[in-house]
Amino acid sequence: MYLRFLALYLVVLTSSVHAAPYEFGHGFNLHDSLTAGGYISTEFASDQQVDTVTIDDVAVMAYGNIGSNFSYLAELEAIGFYHKNITDGDEGGSQKFHIERLYGDIWLSDTFNFRLGKQIAPIGYWNLEPINVLRDTTSNPLYSTILFPKFLTGIDMNGYLPQSGTTRYHLFGQATHDMDEEYINIPNTHFYGLSLEHELSMETSFGGSIGEFIALKSDEKTQFLQGNAKYDNGSLLLSAEAIAAKTNYQNSKSDVTLSGYLQSVYHFSNEHAIVGRYEYYDDQHRDYRDHIGIFGYSYRPIYPISIKGEYQWHSQENENRTLLSFSVLF
Amino acid sequence: MKKFILICLLFESFNASEFSIVVSKKVTLSEITPQQIRDIFLMKRHAIGNQKIIPVNLLGQDISRVTFENEILKMDRDHLNTYWVKQHFQGITPPITQPSHESIKAFVQNVEGAISYIPSAMVDSNVKVIYEF
Repeated sequence: MYLRFLALYLVVLTSSVHAAPYEFGHGFNLHDSLTAGGYISTEFASDQQVDTVTIDDVAVMAYGNIGSNFSYLAELEAIGFYHKNITDGDEGGSQKFHIERLYGDIWLSDTFNFRLGKQIAPIGYWNLEPINVLRDTTSNPLYSTILFPKFLTGIDMNGYLPQSGTTRYHLFGQATHDMDEEYINIPNTHFYGLSLEHELSMETSFGGSIGEFIALKSDEKTQFLQGNAKYDNGSLLLSAEAIAAKTNYQNSKSDVTLSGYLQSVYHFSNEHAIVGRYEYYDDQHRDYRDHIGIFGYSYRPIYPISIKGEYQWHSQENENRTLLSFSVLF
Repeated sequence: MKKFILICLLFESFNASEFSIVVSKKVTLSEITPQQIRDIFLMKRHAIGNQKIIPVNLLGQDISRVTFENEILKMDRDHLNTYWVKQHFQGITPPITQPSHESIKAFVQNVEGAISYIPSAMVDSNVKVIYEF
């Protein structure tokens, strides 16, 4: 199936008879019902033990509108496409493409719309813009990677709250296996939640989510409460997200994991920005906690091309590391 | 007295809205907030109530589009470009375009739910004004 999709993707991309002029980073708009694009990212990491180079994400996507009430999106991604350990010379990687997203949207009204299929879980800010090229740092905060499923294979009912022009909701649920279980951080067959997002002004918004999921491997139920806030005036972007997740562990009492981050990005021109981030992670079950400080620099010759560098300080000292990356959205 | 009336008329002409947000006469919508217009043209909102909305932009860099982007969307071209690159990842494309104000007006007249901006001087009984800027 994946090979057929990739073959079709290449045919579509090369048949630009009806295409609109291509604008870098905006996809190949072949028709209102078909826009094709993708992204790629490479990463260099250096810690106290090893140096590695990775072609991390290679992804292709297609989407479009079918009439005024329906749209779709399909995305395939190979993660860890190529990997080389510079220190000992080992190399490898997986060129297998996985279903990252495959969904349809039904647009009914201001208040009721539905997204069905495999989609990004509508929780917070970071999770919704998870790819390297759209981020301001090469790394992801721990908050976003291990405390809730990043994807949902199910239904998301969404829209503006009735009588509100500035508060959006997402009521979502999954009661089946993930569409591609090899490609999700927490495989599960039970994931429900509610997210709210309120826009105070053009610069300021805040929101939060509640939900629960049962991890497939451990059969342990986790309930979480998450909050997020953002201020963006075009040159300064401040964002903060935090989560408290309570897990009922097998054969032991339940424990809480707390995590969050506060990030500041200052753009001193369209191309250049400096980034600072503080992260906190506290897993009471494993009795593991870490404070992480990150300082980074971001250069975008044009917005869809991102070159970034960062250094991470961990309170767990042996985890300090340097990260560099190059990523492109096309 | 004549001088006073002349001054009032001059003052009024300086304050007259330059551009109008227009929809088809078939649409029951009679007013709209700048926030709603912004959400519609940023493709965050696909309807007002149960009325499907189709935003239409003017192709190119005409003064009406620049004014609309600055005054209603409150975004310059660089900021908008960044926004649409991010939306590309979300599977969302910018509004459709028309090459001229005349074609915009004809499109709005004939397509229920279409919404766009034209110079206020072009407004006539074929379209409905729901906001001015």
